[in-house]
Amino acid sequence: MNENVEKYIKRNVYKSTSSRIAQKFVDAGLEKLRACINCGTCTGSCPSGRRTAIRTRSVLRRALTGDESVLEDIDIWLCSTCYNCYERCPRDIPVTDMIIKLRNIAVEEGNILDAHFGLANKIFYETGHGVPANGEANKKWQDLRESYGLPPLPPTVHVHPEAVKECQELMKSVGFRDLLDKIEKIKEKEKAEAEKNKEEEK
Amino acid sequence: MTETDKKIEIMGNEKPRIGIYVCHCGVNIGGVVSVPDLVEYAKTLPNVTVGREYKFFCSDVGQKMIKEDIEAGLINRVVVAACSPRMHEPTFRIACKEAGLNQFLFEMANIREHSTWVHMKDTEGAYEVAKDHIRLAIAKARELAPLAVQKVKVEPTSLIIGAGITGMNAALNLSAAGYKVYLVERSATIGGHMAQLDKTFPTMDCSSCILTPKMSEISRDKNIELLTYSEVEEVTGYVGNFEVKIKKKPHYVDQEKCNGCGICVDSCPISVGNEFELGLATRKAIYVPFPQAIPSEYTIDMDSCIECGICARESVCEPLAINYDDKPEYITVKIGTIIVATGYDEYDPSGLKQYGYEKYDNVITGLQMERLLSSFGPVIGKPVKPSDLKDPHSIAFLQCVGSRNFREGGNKYCSRVCCMYATKQARQYKEKHPEADIYIFYMDIRAFGKGYEEFYESAARDYGINYIRGRIAEVREKSS
Amino acid sequence: MSEENKWKYGFFLGCVAPNRYPMIESSIRAVFDHLGAEILELEGASCCPAPGVFRAFHIPTWLVIAARNITIAEELGVDIITGCNGCYGTLRDAWIELEHEPELKKMVNKHLAKVGREFKGLIEPKHIVQALYQDMGLDYLRGFVKHKFKDLKVAVHYGCHIIKPSDKRPWGGECEDPTFLDEIVEITGAKSIDYKDKLMCCGAGGAVRTAVKEVSADFSREKLENMRDAGADIIVDCCPFCHLQLDLGQMEANNIYKDMIGEPYKIPVVYLTQLLGLSFGIDPNLLGLIKNHDLKGVTPFIPIESFLEKVKSQLT
Repeated sequence: MNENVEKYIKRNVYKSTSSRIAQKFVDAGLEKLRACINCGTCTGSCPSGRRTAIRTRSVLRRALTGDESVLEDIDIWLCSTCYNCYERCPRDIPVTDMIIKLRNIAVEEGNILDAHFGLANKIFYETGHGVPANGEANKKWQDLRESYGLPPLPPTVHVHPEAVKECQELMKSVGFRDLLDKIEKIKEKEKAEAEKNKEEEK
Repeated sequence: MTETDKKIEIMGNEKPRIGIYVCHCGVNIGGVVSVPDLVEYAKTLPNVTVGREYKFFCSDVGQKMIKEDIEAGLINRVVVAACSPRMHEPTFRIACKEAGLNQFLFEMANIREHSTWVHMKDTEGAYEVAKDHIRLAIAKARELAPLAVQKVKVEPTSLIIGAGITGMNAALNLSAAGYKVYLVERSATIGGHMAQLDKTFPTMDCSSCILTPKMSEISRDKNIELLTYSEVEEVTGYVGNFEVKIKKKPHYVDQEKCNGCGICVDSCPISVGNEFELGLATRKAIYVPFPQAIPSEYTIDMDSCIECGICARESVCEPLAINYDDKPEYITVKIGTIIVATGYDEYDPSGLKQYGYEKYDNVITGLQMERLLSSFGPVIGKPVKPSDLKDPHSIAFLQCVGSRNFREGGNKYCSRVCCMYATKQARQYKEKHPEADIYIFYMDIRAFGKGYEEFYESAARDYGINYIRGRIAEVREKSS
Repeated sequence: MSEENKWKYGFFLGCVAPNRYPMIESSIRAVFDHLGAEILELEGASCCPAPGVFRAFHIPTWLVIAARNITIAEELGVDIITGCNGCYGTLRDAWIELEHEPELKKMVNKHLAKVGREFKGLIEPKHIVQALYQDMGLDYLRGFVKHKFKDLKVAVHYGCHIIKPSDKRPWGGECEDPTFLDEIVEITGAKSIDYKDKLMCCGAGGAVRTAVKEVSADFSREKLENMRDAGADIIVDCCPFCHLQLDLGQMEANNIYKDMIGEPYKIPVVYLTQLLGLSFGIDPNLLGLIKNHDLKGVTPFIPIESFLEKVKSQLT
């Protein structure tokens, strides 16, 4: 292909004219997103935006206008859910809830960081805790608890294996297990493709 | 005065002869139901002698059809089945009257708003509803009796509540038309907010130069009774015949005796925040609101006064005009019409803590800025920072604070003047301080009126005022 | 019911407090016991689930697991107290959402029925600060103050989820300028100092810490800089995750941003009930303030000995 054409001509920057993502919001009862007037109060309130590239207004704008790349960027994962934007939006849009919904949509399509996926699939699903203290690897934390006069493990799922089973039952029932399996397959496919590309480059 | 019919006299035993006129109203009615069928149906009803259809009965041609039937003696009642009486009842009533039929022997059946417009997709249902409306209107027409138009006496006196520029103008207009006006104003002077403004947009006229001549006119006008420092207590009666009770608040100063020397003000030991200056300056407990106040009357603010007695001394007030025992006076007047011209309030941003309005000295409101810019304001038209009284070298205007806000406790509407007054104030400051950095942070610029867009364009192009699109989220003061 | 035990709560532990900062758990137990409240265990409780990560992955899962945790307390007939902003945010938001949307409640109960549970909405999830400030009240707490700090400058860190979203919190909509935590801190005689951007987020939540640690460390760096500038002796917070971000995160900020910050930060981070407990005269061992071990690489990462030294003289 002509080099300059490749380099300078940009086609199909927006992949769709009507936003599939916006429709998902409407279907989920979050149609308030459409009231956004792009005033930028959310971006101005964002403590993350002050130090990273996330621009809250822009994230919502991209969702609304169908820019699918918003689901693949790291931006939406740099929101610390501080709720400042939610509190100050003059159109009373629950901005933080919008970002969480965007994350849900992104995850559904396999856009989740490896670290987060490991947290959900291995740690949360298997132990019922987000930050576990059981097992040999976590012995020092059990010892620390004991040094303060507490039992080595708290009276949570850590000492109630039937409770872990219950949580896993629920996660299966609500579709979380299926979601995790689906993501696992997507990730394996991506990994295989990345390796293939590396091979081809050699 | 009663109306008499030109040719037809209705006597008690004359049978009703009803003319029914079904209008197509273009396709509004005709496109949904069959108008000819409706006419045929109507003609089967008792007492209907004439039935016609037409595209637009409200037109001259249509009205002529009705008038000719009346003049030919064919009918003595008219029913028009068409749009809402809110549209054309007067039209057809006058047509009847001009043809010699008492105008109240007319009835209208609304088969548009009440049938074809609301049942557009259900033509059969619309037809049935239209038939019902026509049948009911004809039934009523059978029972109609001729009526006389009555006249009610209206008291030729007006009450205007609020003596800002709107109330004042209305008072002068009414007075010029020969009516007596009671102009009631809650504060001690007329003029309202316009007296606080420095310049007006987009012409940059001096606000006081437009206002004060009107204020003088008001004070001179023989038809206008000016009741300042007064409030309306009660309104009873009905349109054209109201009885209004007005409370004249006590000044605690006998205006007959007072010679306006002002020594009482100099001697008063109590200083409080000056409302006219929006807290940027002080006034005494005994005061005149501002130098050009009309009427130029002294008032004691009893909430702040400690009744020390200094102003009451003869050495201070020679005419002994101070009267701590002053009481409110109540008057009752007969009023024909009332105009409520109470004006606007500036939004108080202290509830929106993120803007730091009460926390930081250098965050002020638009009206406060106006007072700083005013040549008879606290800083004689040379704005300074409240914190250190130095000239600001940069100013940020934050638009839409409190407005266009759908949150709990916010005002959803746009206040509409702020884009323009911010541009005006920015220009005023920039004219005197061309090196200053001025930013206007907006969501949208609403420059809707005559000359407004040009004013806005010039502010950016000629004066270099920075318009930045982006609503400010938070204001914080730098520590250094 | 005796006057002594008029408050009965189910203690929701969460993850970070029991599993990484057990001194927070023990200080909460010690203080509530001292104040005459009865603490019941919520056996088998799981992760709340964490709002920043798990709610972001799949909202229905978050709702169902949160409802399950609430039903554990419902079965005991007690309100929940938690010492964590994140758990508070999850449990309270889930409770309010389910109470307001009957369709959601039906959906959740459909899943819970499979494990023999039912969400009824009978109990209220509360933060320990809510229990202290609203259920017990400042006057009651003041009665327990034995020692007053004479010269202790505290940088109070509220965190985010205890006050926002403000329409789902019990503070009357106040989120720009809250004072309740400062008021509790000041009954101990300590002075809550004003510092720049006091209400700024710590940066841990919203999956940021687990996504890119450096970003969350920069949040901490900014907060610590502001606290140091204002002359804070210690930081007092009411959330274990904020606590982690300001403690372990302080060490991370010192490493990652050492070129930016000059002198490394060494501000001790103290949990609210640890401070309160000291003031009430509770044994510091029960408050997790004394190190009774020589484990390596455990919390707290920023030594608190300087704080203990400073207040030793004031605790007589």
